[in-house]
Amino acid sequence: MGQRITVDPVTRIEGHLKIDVEIENGVVKDAWSSGTMARGFEALLTGKDPRDASYVTSRFCGVCFSVHQMASAACLDDAFGAQVPDGGRIMRNLLMGTEYLYDHIIHFYHLTALDYLDIMAIAGYSGNDAGLNAVKDKIVSLVKRGDTYPLTPRYEPDQWSVADPEIVTMAVAHYLEALKIQVTAKNMGAMLGGGRVPHYQGIVVGGVTQIPNAEQIGRFKSMLDEVVAFIKNVYMKDVLLLGGPGGPLFELAKLGVGGGHYNYLSYGAFPEDASGKNMYFKPGVVRNLNLNKVEAFDQAKVTESVKYAWYKEKAPVHPYDGEQIFDRDKAGAYTFVKAPRYDGMAFEVGPLARMIVEKNPTLLSLVEAGAKPGAVARHAARMIETVALADQMYVWLGQLIEAAGNPGFKIHDGDHWEVPESADGAGFYEAPRGALGHWIRIKGKKIENYQCVVPSTWNASPRDENDVRGQYEEALIGAPVPDPENPINIVRVIRSFDPCLACAIHIIDPGTNQIRKFRIG
Amino acid sequence: MTSFRNISRRDFLKFCAGTASILGLSEAAVPRVAKALEGAARKPAVIWLEGQDCAGCTISFINSSHPGTAELVLDTISLRYHESLMAAAGHASEKALRDTIKEGGYVLIVEGSIPAEDPRFCQVGGVNFIDTVKEAAANAAAVIAIGACAAYGGIPGDCPTPGRGMGVGEAMEKGLVPRKPLINVPTCPVHPERMIGTIVYYLLYKKPPPMDKIGRPLVFYDKLIHDNCERRGHFDNGEFLTDWNSSEQRNWCMYLKGCKGPFTYSDCPKRRWSDGLNWCIGCSAVCQGCSEPEFYAGMSPLYDRTKEIRGYKVETIGAVATGVVAVGLAGHFIGQAMTGRLGKGGPPEEGGDN
Repeated sequence: MGQRITVDPVTRIEGHLKIDVEIENGVVKDAWSSGTMARGFEALLTGKDPRDASYVTSRFCGVCFSVHQMASAACLDDAFGAQVPDGGRIMRNLLMGTEYLYDHIIHFYHLTALDYLDIMAIAGYSGNDAGLNAVKDKIVSLVKRGDTYPLTPRYEPDQWSVADPEIVTMAVAHYLEALKIQVTAKNMGAMLGGGRVPHYQGIVVGGVTQIPNAEQIGRFKSMLDEVVAFIKNVYMKDVLLLGGPGGPLFELAKLGVGGGHYNYLSYGAFPEDASGKNMYFKPGVVRNLNLNKVEAFDQAKVTESVKYAWYKEKAPVHPYDGEQIFDRDKAGAYTFVKAPRYDGMAFEVGPLARMIVEKNPTLLSLVEAGAKPGAVARHAARMIETVALADQMYVWLGQLIEAAGNPGFKIHDGDHWEVPESADGAGFYEAPRGALGHWIRIKGKKIENYQCVVPSTWNASPRDENDVRGQYEEALIGAPVPDPENPINIVRVIRSFDPCLACAIHIIDPGTNQIRKFRIG
Repeated sequence: MTSFRNISRRDFLKFCAGTASILGLSEAAVPRVAKALEGAARKPAVIWLEGQDCAGCTISFINSSHPGTAELVLDTISLRYHESLMAAAGHASEKALRDTIKEGGYVLIVEGSIPAEDPRFCQVGGVNFIDTVKEAAANAAAVIAIGACAAYGGIPGDCPTPGRGMGVGEAMEKGLVPRKPLINVPTCPVHPERMIGTIVYYLLYKKPPPMDKIGRPLVFYDKLIHDNCERRGHFDNGEFLTDWNSSEQRNWCMYLKGCKGPFTYSDCPKRRWSDGLNWCIGCSAVCQGCSEPEFYAGMSPLYDRTKEIRGYKVETIGAVATGVVAVGLAGHFIGQAMTGRLGKGGPPEEGGDN
């Protein structure tokens, strides 16, 4: 029997997460992932006007707010029979694109970089760069004043922590620069039609609400230039410098710490035409890292288990057949997160899954150089897709400029704004952190049931009926924890997924004990 | 360069000027702001707790440009505990929290609601969230509830579930949390300027700013959106947006699309969002009343016109075709009536410094 340790709260993530691990001989032998907060969004949507859903579900999460609004709008489009005009589709692509640009930058610099840097190495910086010296002075003065919050306390640096004063000082300077550039990325979306961030207002069933004017489009372009310059000159280079071949973290990448089940799932996102079938991010399913066989995604194969979650016992069912009655006293349960499975298997979703499903050549070149799927590879995949998306944003912007000059330019399908008497709908998208699905059933012009299966439900899931671990849990197995007092590798692995727990726990029955059954669409 | 505040003196003064402007203070107040912030022997301690939240207020907070987030977090306050931003995790983060609570005298910021029915619906560090708020409020100098959830329960406040969320004020009223000076800074999410302005105001004057009856700083929430909306002229003319594709209608009033501006107090029309680049009504997406205690349930259906909220009616607006002038008068009446409910809150005191 090994030693059991708990990390609670896992900070620098969205939401409340507890991780328990059992350690034997300095490595993780077993792990449990627990989501420890629930709100109940879907319950409050029951009986409401279906058009409310895209506004309210945006509040699942303040980090990936717009993608919930987007998936919800796609779900409503399906239920209402709305045909989003090209102008609306392109605007949605651009708005979603800005979310990726800001979100991935924040994740790397503000949520995870501190796991890999020995910040106090800054004191040793001896270069002549005025900007870096200002950063050094700032941090050193905090130390002198004895008030280094929120940079300390922290887990102690280990053998993989980067302690080179030059690199660390530069990284902290980029941390501060990134704080500003992420605002620019967010402001782009707010200005072009989101209205504000977080929590866009401008994506509704049928399209978007704002007709962009020439000044906004011009300003969007110049802000995009600024953000893309940072992505290519700073973010991309930092990730490659730290985690690319020859970088201090490449050894960690080669060890494949944080691998998991090696099953990858992507729903696809950014529709390139009205059919919605041609997506910029391709949908697909890869099992056991077998890149020779990328399967088509079939939503009918999604089920959710509640065996270890605080819900009344029930066999795994498709989300449409979900019965959601809380049982906070259930023996053996340890989380509010359900356990989604695809074809009965546990899958990883997110940037690494997307880039694997697409067989992205840059990612595959890192694999050829010896990197294995795991924590470092997730950061690399996130950067790779950010760079690709940055280029694609110019393509969509060009399409918008062309379309906006057309007298028939439309952003919204006003013919399908009124709520149908009854309908079912499903909407799928890729949030920055992974595959996102919304389902709705409308009856009597009201929401009868609203269901979501979100990225962090996939990744943060507990064990299922067959006691197969969720992706976080599996990814932790074998992670080195030589010092149980300093389990830095645990948070490295978990944060590499960009956890978003408030999204993952949103499902509550309104207390009617009514079993809602749906057919699979 | 000996003192850290001297390192970026120019940035620091910019920070003070930005804050003064947020609070409606004149340029002349900048040295006073600077003096108050510099005068403290130590940076004031801040504990930031997240309960039933979505981190949207945190994400909004880091949108701040003038003043910038980095200046606030590194130079101005001592952020002892913040789940989303702190380097520490697990036991180390919990220790930082308990040590600061023991020290006392800090500003407590709460983001997210508190489960009202069953405390186990939000646990952090193995402790029910309500118990942490109770413990942290006991030794706090003041509590700032940011966002709709912490202020009035917000969206989780409408959950017919064991976890129903309540705001900090409700928890104080029920005796679940010790009573302390409480400032509500609602909207979903919080506006970064209103939040930073409130923190700095408190640090300057060591007391909450003048507030309305529901605890909102008057400097940010004393005006009805409808009365100050850039589309108000179209309302008065009876010009209502019905088609989002119409370039003619693009700036028309959105009352018929469900705009809750006639029922909502905030300076959004003037302050706008995202560095002033846009706001909800600016992108034709209608106001949803997120600064009001009724948000969300009382504002639903969001995209249908609302005739009445808590006794205030927009009866004549439906009759636009026959009485354009009456519409304008009715709108004005609503503004007057709702201002009246602020009672003795009065105009800002220090806020009227300019």
